[in-house]
Amino acid sequence: MEYKPTIGLEIHVQLATKTKIFCGCSTEFGAEPNTNVCPVCLGLPGALPVLNEKVVEYGTKLGLALNMRINKTSTFYRKNYFYPDLPKGYQITQYSIPIASEGFLEVKTSKGKKKIRILRGHIEEDSGKSIHTGDITESEYSYIDFNRSGVPLMEIVTYPDIETAEEAYEFLVLLRKTVRYLGVSSGDMEKGALRCDVNISVSKGETLGTKVEIKNLNSFRSVRRALEFEINRQIETLKKGGKIVQETRHLDERTGETKPMRTKEELNDYRYFPEPDLPPLTLTDEYIEKIKETIPELPNEKEERFIKEYGISEDYAHEIAASIEVAEYFEEAAKLTGKPKEVSNYLMVNIMKFINENGKSIKEITFGAKEFKELLDLIDSKTISKNIAKSVLEESLSSGKTPSQIVEEKGLKQITDTGEIEKVIDEVIKENPKPVSQYLEGKKQVMGFLIGQIMKKTRGKANPKIASKILIEKLNALK
Amino acid sequence: MDLKKYEKLAALNLSEEEEKRISKDLTDIINYFEVLKEVNTDNIEPLVYTKGAKLFMRKDEKQKSLDKELLKKNRELFNSNFYRVKKIIGD
Amino acid sequence: MDILNKTAEEVASIARSGEVSVKEIAEQMINAIKQKDSKIKAFIHIDFDAVIKRAEELDTKKDKSGVLFGVPIAIKDNMNMKNTETTAGSKILSGYTSPYDATVVEKLKNAGALIVGKTNMDEFAMGSSTENSAFFNTHNPVNPEYVPGGSSGGSAAAVKANEVIASLGSDTGGSIREPAAFCGVTGLKPTYGRVSRYGLIAFASSLDQIGPFGKTVKDTAIMLNAIAGFDPRDETSVQTEKEDFTALIGKNIKGKKIGVIKEVQDFKLQEEVKNSFNDTVKALQNAGAVVEEVSIPHLKYALPVYYIIAPAEASANLARFDGVRYGLRVEGKDLKETYEKTRTEGFGTEVKRRILIGTFTLSAGYYDAYYLKASKVRRLISNDFEKAFSKVDALVLPTTSTTAFKLGSITNPLQMYMNDIFTIPISLAGLPAISIPTGTDKKGLPIGMQLVGKWFAEKELLQIAYTVEQELGGKNGI
Repeated sequence: MEYKPTIGLEIHVQLATKTKIFCGCSTEFGAEPNTNVCPVCLGLPGALPVLNEKVVEYGTKLGLALNMRINKTSTFYRKNYFYPDLPKGYQITQYSIPIASEGFLEVKTSKGKKKIRILRGHIEEDSGKSIHTGDITESEYSYIDFNRSGVPLMEIVTYPDIETAEEAYEFLVLLRKTVRYLGVSSGDMEKGALRCDVNISVSKGETLGTKVEIKNLNSFRSVRRALEFEINRQIETLKKGGKIVQETRHLDERTGETKPMRTKEELNDYRYFPEPDLPPLTLTDEYIEKIKETIPELPNEKEERFIKEYGISEDYAHEIAASIEVAEYFEEAAKLTGKPKEVSNYLMVNIMKFINENGKSIKEITFGAKEFKELLDLIDSKTISKNIAKSVLEESLSSGKTPSQIVEEKGLKQITDTGEIEKVIDEVIKENPKPVSQYLEGKKQVMGFLIGQIMKKTRGKANPKIASKILIEKLNALK
Repeated sequence: MDLKKYEKLAALNLSEEEEKRISKDLTDIINYFEVLKEVNTDNIEPLVYTKGAKLFMRKDEKQKSLDKELLKKNRELFNSNFYRVKKIIGD
Repeated sequence: MDILNKTAEEVASIARSGEVSVKEIAEQMINAIKQKDSKIKAFIHIDFDAVIKRAEELDTKKDKSGVLFGVPIAIKDNMNMKNTETTAGSKILSGYTSPYDATVVEKLKNAGALIVGKTNMDEFAMGSSTENSAFFNTHNPVNPEYVPGGSSGGSAAAVKANEVIASLGSDTGGSIREPAAFCGVTGLKPTYGRVSRYGLIAFASSLDQIGPFGKTVKDTAIMLNAIAGFDPRDETSVQTEKEDFTALIGKNIKGKKIGVIKEVQDFKLQEEVKNSFNDTVKALQNAGAVVEEVSIPHLKYALPVYYIIAPAEASANLARFDGVRYGLRVEGKDLKETYEKTRTEGFGTEVKRRILIGTFTLSAGYYDAYYLKASKVRRLISNDFEKAFSKVDALVLPTTSTTAFKLGSITNPLQMYMNDIFTIPISLAGLPAISIPTGTDKKGLPIGMQLVGKWFAEKELLQIAYTVEQELGGKNGI
């Protein structure tokens, strides 16, 4: 029997409100230390929390998008522990009844689709930030900035349904897409807007193995690496007859190994009890319904619809639907041009390349649906060839000029005037007696050379179909 | 009652003499709580919020934060505006 | 004109008319405080220059319509007042300068009050005698050998000693009513949620409520007018219609039903307290009220319930005093030691005792048996009152079973807790209650009776209390 990993995720999603969860201080990232603070988020004596309605709205929205049940009554609790970045000595969080319960996300992996269940989603306040100068082990002091204290979070806890590092990775990716679709979080792991802790054990059979927690994973890659390493470590340990110790580990980014965190000699008894400063949060059916109406089509749904409705490839659909902006861009252009396949091609190949190389977002480019239509119409009307179209597109992306403008200015119009083409062909026949006679002798492969000569003379603007038709006619007439 | 354990959770460290005194008081007080056992509370909801309590939600609007001069009146700030504490053991 | 003996209502009207300037009022008050407070020790912080400056400002004001215009008022030192020291009677906050005003402070200022200073209290409002102040004891103005009660002992004493006209206290389990009774002044604990707690240093959040001390029932009503109301900064303040709490004062109480609690008879009362209770019942009957017996079956469980819930909440509320951002900091070799040294040296014994009880009753394995159980019994107590109030308009019972005791005479904490046996049940239910002076014992120490109203029915409660006050002799009780 094989060892099977069992993995659960706890993800903190920072909600993108303007102000903190319990006070009117700004949530702006990167402000001067301790400037976005007030009596409430600094834990001054006598200050009281007042709930930000946007936090509830975003929490509800995210809960619904993750297929969760929104609890019409949820409660706030105090979680008690001492830590210098926790100004009140307790964190206000949800405990017995969170705002959202029981949902799932369906992820796509190399082995197919998989439903990962979500246990709960609760809203809570973030702590401040402790900063250590120099070497952690050497420095005598910690420096504390309370700007982050009170920034709203929604913690998403999954069931231990995850079995591979890939599934965990895909879950996180889909979660990020979802929060970005909803506009409830920036989803930036690097800025701490998504933070992930994982619980992992391996076992044979039904009885679960000893659980290890890996904390402070701050990039998608870290989650994947940490899990890959840890799964392997646990299996190898067990195979050698060793035992897994229940502990908290962290990922050493340099080596890609997980290592035990030095344990603090502290008891973990959080003494949760109902927060007397905040009566229960009650939501009406109408409220929940109203929020539901604001939820856009989500990444998975969009992806499937794009495949069905526009007939584009699964891979392209997946990539396009990854970002709501790209998806919207695609759809607008697809609708206007009526050529979704071509749009998806140009989009995923040329436009994305330009965006990635220039560090731009799809919103910033001037080449929109209108320009797309122009470009495709130019091809359709045989004004330009597909080859020329690519360079027109690239030129348009970088200069901001419209495709017709570019074709006009650079004289890229395809020559479809047969009279003009005939004139050129006559010249080519005259100038190349040898290949012409070879053709007449039956060597059809010289056609390529002759067409090339025509294109050279017209600087690529001759319509190749028309040119070859006339050339054959003229050559045949010489027989 | 394991007084040391609760001292630790409460970030207190009583002197031996104080421990002795408080320990006896706490035992008496906790024994006094025993009387509650005679009350039948089956199917009774706990009461945390009294009459009329209703959560109010504020708008997501910025309010003025505290001036740092006011913070400095109560604690010196370091390295351009940070609070400073001795290092956290094991961190 | 001597304003020291006047009520808030009278002082405001004198100040408004310009008959006496606010500055002169302030000077009279300051002289009184300078004269008396070295004995009474009601005040922790007072800045005479600032008081004079504020008085001068009030004198230049065109709008003198504030209900407390020019009235000298003291506030308990657990209420934040910007740029002044706010200590809550604790060493851990000594030297702490508050950067903001509590809502009640703002409201008092808006009402034109002259806030004189901050009064002494039991540390973090934990106590019944003000002996738990980290700074000094306050003496009962009636007899300085006796305690003024607590925890708002300074606020009660300052009014009794005519050092101020009125004051604010806070009441968690009786901390306004008990000192009012011991000092012989009127003290009102409003319905939980009536007055904003924003800026009140929390002891037990689900119980704390700010309320006034005054010389008369009407003065407490005027004070309540100034400080009551929903506050968007306090989620537990309740949205109610604005009302005038003096509106029913003077209206007769014929036909009102007043309940006496059967279970109160199970407790031993000092003889004179018992007699005064009977006098009060008679006074109510004389005024046309119908007195009948009601039952609060779970009354005797109130004390243990309170001493589980209040310390549990306090253990969390007081966790913010860690020496990091403000207040006392005693540096240790590392952070953990800094925490422990700061808190162990900064908190007094009673505070540490309650923090430890609260930490214990919330801890894993004990939560259900203590905190949760107590919260359920709290519901039963509240239900008992609800039932009683379906039959009667108000309840009457003694504020305390005895009159004030001598400083230093009670050293056992449980015995000290027993002082609040009649005030705590009402706090647990969140009901409004007022203590009014109804007599004195043979040593001349004041006796207080407690009237309890329905939730948010302060207007009716004050109406009944006023009637009793008039029947029994008027201003300052007997």
